[in-house]
Amino acid sequence: MARFLTETIGTLSDAGSLFVVAAGLTLVFGAMRVINLAHGTFYMYGAFVVTTVAGTASGLRFWVAVVVAALVVAVLGAIVQLGVVRFVVGKEPLTQLVATFAVLYILADVALHLWGSGARSVSAPLGVSGTFTLAGAYLPVYDLVIIGTAVLVGLVLWLLLSHTSLGWMIRAAVDDPELLQSGGVNLRRLHLAVFATGALLAALAGAIVTPQISVAPGMDQSIIVSSLLVVVIGGLGSVVGTAFAALIIGIADTVGTLVDPTWASTFMYFAVILVLVVRPWGLFGTPER
Amino acid sequence: MARTAPNDAAVAAVLGVPASAATGSLASRVGRAAALVAFVALVVVLGLTLAPANALELQYAVSLTLFAVATNLILGFGGLVSFGQGIFYGVGAYTVALGWMHQSLNFTEAMVLAPFFGAVAAIPLGMLALRTRRLYFSLLTLTMSQLAYVIAENQTNLTGGTNGVFGAMVPTWLLDPHTSFLFTAAIVAVAIAILWKVVHSPFGLVLRAIRDNRERVEALGVNVYAHELAAFVISAFFCSLAGSLFVVYSQSSYPEILNWTASGVPVFMAVIGGMYSFFGPVVGAFVYEFASHYLIEYTQDWQLVIGAVLLAIVLLRPDGLAGSLGSLRAWLRRRRPVEQATVAAAPENAEGTP
Repeated sequence: MARFLTETIGTLSDAGSLFVVAAGLTLVFGAMRVINLAHGTFYMYGAFVVTTVAGTASGLRFWVAVVVAALVVAVLGAIVQLGVVRFVVGKEPLTQLVATFAVLYILADVALHLWGSGARSVSAPLGVSGTFTLAGAYLPVYDLVIIGTAVLVGLVLWLLLSHTSLGWMIRAAVDDPELLQSGGVNLRRLHLAVFATGALLAALAGAIVTPQISVAPGMDQSIIVSSLLVVVIGGLGSVVGTAFAALIIGIADTVGTLVDPTWASTFMYFAVILVLVVRPWGLFGTPER
Repeated sequence: MARTAPNDAAVAAVLGVPASAATGSLASRVGRAAALVAFVALVVVLGLTLAPANALELQYAVSLTLFAVATNLILGFGGLVSFGQGIFYGVGAYTVALGWMHQSLNFTEAMVLAPFFGAVAAIPLGMLALRTRRLYFSLLTLTMSQLAYVIAENQTNLTGGTNGVFGAMVPTWLLDPHTSFLFTAAIVAVAIAILWKVVHSPFGLVLRAIRDNRERVEALGVNVYAHELAAFVISAFFCSLAGSLFVVYSQSSYPEILNWTASGVPVFMAVIGGMYSFFGPVVGAFVYEFASHYLIEYTQDWQLVIGAVLLAIVLLRPDGLAGSLGSLRAWLRRRRPVEQATVAAAPENAEGTP
């Protein structure tokens, strides 16, 4: 039972942070039909900004650093949108993939100049560090912070998309951008807002996981693969699907580690292949248009 | 009564796909062939006269041209954006390296078998990937590439794990840089000639027709899926051949050659050179390889430079360098008739000209 609890909390925490990154990716795809390979870059920048702002202090300053990271990267996202992504909206997938990959390369190089090639770490702030005991299991308190953040992000996104006019506009932008524009909505400004929000979510996830990982170059390329797995399983553009898929990936990873460590990291890929064999457009996606 | 599918030549004729990219006057065709021969001669002479280190670098670039052209068979001519061709490149490289490490295949056997292993691996992967279309196809192939990478990295007993396989896996007669250059260049030349034949065969024409108008080709009774799968397998065959040549160059094989960024490289080469031209990816491979090789010597910021180049090309010249060359030629051609028209409008001047 204790073992089960430990694994469950760990899985939920991993799935939680993955959901927050992938939600940003799927939100951008949903509203703009652009798959952004530089999305993982925003995650990495979020983590790096936290290491700079929080330093070694482990108190209130950490939370300030998380907020600063999310906002700074949202601005970076806006710059990328205005400088590159706005020109590839509506273009062929190849154009979008190559252009956003180029952004990944460029920003990875800039990050090397800003933060160097070494690994950095941040300790969890007092109050949420250490462990608590539940049914004989010692559980990291910080896992609850990550799970809480993920639930909060999920709720806010759901409210935003289904209960606000902005959410209606985002959904309408997918179905019929021309009609929306002729209705007086500034599509460019909408895209800018959505893309910056996507970057903000990636950075938030990157910032919030810093106490649990070592922050180093290369994070951008590995997290984008996991996020792509999640959005492909969930169905591109579906936030609900993303939540389910993040759980599936988290569970596949945990089960893999328990079953056979040398094959552990392959389980999530097989999960993706399995889902796509049954539903080539993902669990909650719509067939290819 | 089951109707048989129409043959490719008939379909190509109905669709009015140009029979060959090498249309145009005999003179321009001869000119183009001469340019090609001159280019090949130049590469061979360079490969044989350069200092060993540079000859080796040229050899690597030549092997990458095959990787890029083979990838472009499905990318430019089939319209399938695969971020998974690194899998087959890796299968080729690992066939030679593991054959040596486990002493199960000698070098010649491994070199001969490598492309067939790649092609065989491509059948199930292609069947799976082709269930999806467009963006999902790209993302699924990317996923497969990353899966291949993870397997190569973690199955230490089989593959040597993260460090890969290093050692004297290339026979001594191939160790001389000039010999191995000639060996590589000869194989690449034959392989690219075969790919040229494939692209300009009725099969290749139908492939292009599928890229341009899938529904219409389907309506003609063509089995689109079978054509795409066949193209995927042929591409994998030659990607694996290129991968086995990587071992001739580096005497090693390691997981990084299979991951998704490595799979992206031939795509970027094709995009830089021009994916709608047969030889565009060759140009792209030379540009990409020499740029990254020499940039690393002079600056740490090679990622920045390559990223900027990719961005500039994809935003400003989506048809790549070959496309730019094409528009330059078209611009020159447009200028000439204008001069002639001026001449014709002035009959007193025209009398003197034949």
